[in-house]
Amino acid sequence: MVSPALLVAVPLGLAFCVPLVGLASRKAARFVPIVACLFNLIVSLRLIPHAIEQPIVANMGGFTPPFSITLFAGPLGLILSALIALAGFVVSIYAVAYIDKGSTTRYHTLFLLLLVGATGVVLTGDIFNLFVFFEILCISSYALVAYLGDRGGLEAAAKYLIQGAIGSGLLLTGIGLLYGLTGTLNMASIAASVGSIGTVSVFVPMALIIAGLGVEAAIFPLNAWLPDAHSSAPSTISAILSGIAIEVGLYAVVRVVFTMFGASSMLLFLVFLGTLTLLVGEMCAFAQSNVKRMLAYSSIGQIGLILFAISIASSASIAGGLFQLITHTLSKVVLFLAVGYMIYRSGSTEISSLEGIGKRMPVTSMAFVVAAFSLVGLPPFAGFPSKFMIVRAAVAEGGALFLVLVALVLVGTVIEGAYFFRVIQAIFFKKRDEKPARHEAPVAALVPILVVVVLIIALGVYPDAITGALNSAASELLERAHYVRSVLG
Amino acid sequence: MSFLHDYAYYIGAFGLIFIGLLVVLAKHNLIKVIIGLSILDTGINLFLISVGYLRNGTAPIFSRPGLDASGMVDPVPQALVLTAIVIGVAVLALALGIAVRLYREFGTLDLRKIKELRW
Repeated sequence: MVSPALLVAVPLGLAFCVPLVGLASRKAARFVPIVACLFNLIVSLRLIPHAIEQPIVANMGGFTPPFSITLFAGPLGLILSALIALAGFVVSIYAVAYIDKGSTTRYHTLFLLLLVGATGVVLTGDIFNLFVFFEILCISSYALVAYLGDRGGLEAAAKYLIQGAIGSGLLLTGIGLLYGLTGTLNMASIAASVGSIGTVSVFVPMALIIAGLGVEAAIFPLNAWLPDAHSSAPSTISAILSGIAIEVGLYAVVRVVFTMFGASSMLLFLVFLGTLTLLVGEMCAFAQSNVKRMLAYSSIGQIGLILFAISIASSASIAGGLFQLITHTLSKVVLFLAVGYMIYRSGSTEISSLEGIGKRMPVTSMAFVVAAFSLVGLPPFAGFPSKFMIVRAAVAEGGALFLVLVALVLVGTVIEGAYFFRVIQAIFFKKRDEKPARHEAPVAALVPILVVVVLIIALGVYPDAITGALNSAASELLERAHYVRSVLG
Repeated sequence: MSFLHDYAYYIGAFGLIFIGLLVVLAKHNLIKVIIGLSILDTGINLFLISVGYLRNGTAPIFSRPGLDASGMVDPVPQALVLTAIVIGVAVLALALGIAVRLYREFGTLDLRKIKELRW
């Protein structure tokens, strides 16, 4: 069995090989991220069955926990790392043709570092290590948002950097307080000792850590940076930021709340925050005339939905939330990648300028429609079973409160449907010229889009393919004692 | 006075953190905001160090026989601060790089005037 440490080490090594390969041939450097992501995808998928039986714990440096830095590859971490690798794989194939301006080797290095950071966050079992990987993720995404070097990108990167740096500051302060309280940085041994400390003393570091991670996860009051950053970045980066970076932030929040603090009293608050994030995101998305900003606000809404589902904290709702997370990543990757070439061909990001593009780029437009339908939750696409699972789990929770919240979530979905249908209407049913010339996106861009589209339909038709793994990921989150036992022995 | 004596480092650290936050929130010049971030970082580093600090403690090295581990400062926060400083430098460098590019594009560093995008 391969050590999960390779999931971090191999892409990290390859990331710094990109400039070296780029010295020999700038064209060859573009293929390094593809290789790294493929490696990660295969290794993660092969480790998942092992992890479902027994979580894989790797201790670095030959020390035993809690003194060593632990990598904890449970079902949840490996599912997410496979998802990161998959998204990175398709986006880096797309980027071969799409990224042609500027210093491309730097782009590919940073892109791979971003994925390393994300993979590290989902696999680590050490809170300070999580901070370090988080910073790798954040710093490379600040730089990538500004990659094009235009006014919008620079301004968005500056805003993102300032808010992200404050967030990391809060996170680090929280970690410092926690270390002062427990004398350890290992998440399992913090989880073991946090129960014996007074609730008030634990609350302050928990609030700081959640607020710090919440900036990256774009939970409602902390999401001011997201629409600018996601809409000003190159489309490949928007896809990764929207499909991976904020999900990783959300994972970190969930891991901290569920596993490390076991804070069941926080969950209802997070349910409310999720609903609020969902409604705010969807309403703002509805008001946008810029298609990339619309997709960015829709990501905020989806994050709210996932947070809502996971914070209900029943086994079915966590599985549904994780399913929604996977659906959102796949759909948003397709949406941003498809929109990337639509914008490129029409020359503007306004929704009105996309009118009639369905005739000029039918395949790309159909991919957009499939992903949009999946995000709204129409059968037979992957969004349907995931939203259905969430709604069923929330209703099963019972009580008038959850019925009201489910109603609000469904209102959010209706708004989501409204703005996606408006774009689809513009793409297909509004004509500008009678005989448009067909000008499809290049094959290198279409192939990765279509691969994910097929995956969306396959998961929608046969959701049972992953529900088993999702259920064991849900029980990993719910069973703290098992997590502690498998790390500390 | 004994409160001040015992908690001087924490007061100093959180004082720096709040000064940094205030500068970031209240100033409009991007360079000043970046200075604020730097002060914030320094405050956090000082805080981390003071978590593991022991008055009259020695370095955590068994340099001569008879040294007792209980009289040593905690080395873990120092390792953390070393990492945090490196990360802080990276963020600072990137922020200053972006500031240079922003000045070239907009001709100003006033964040109130750099408003192409809507919030």
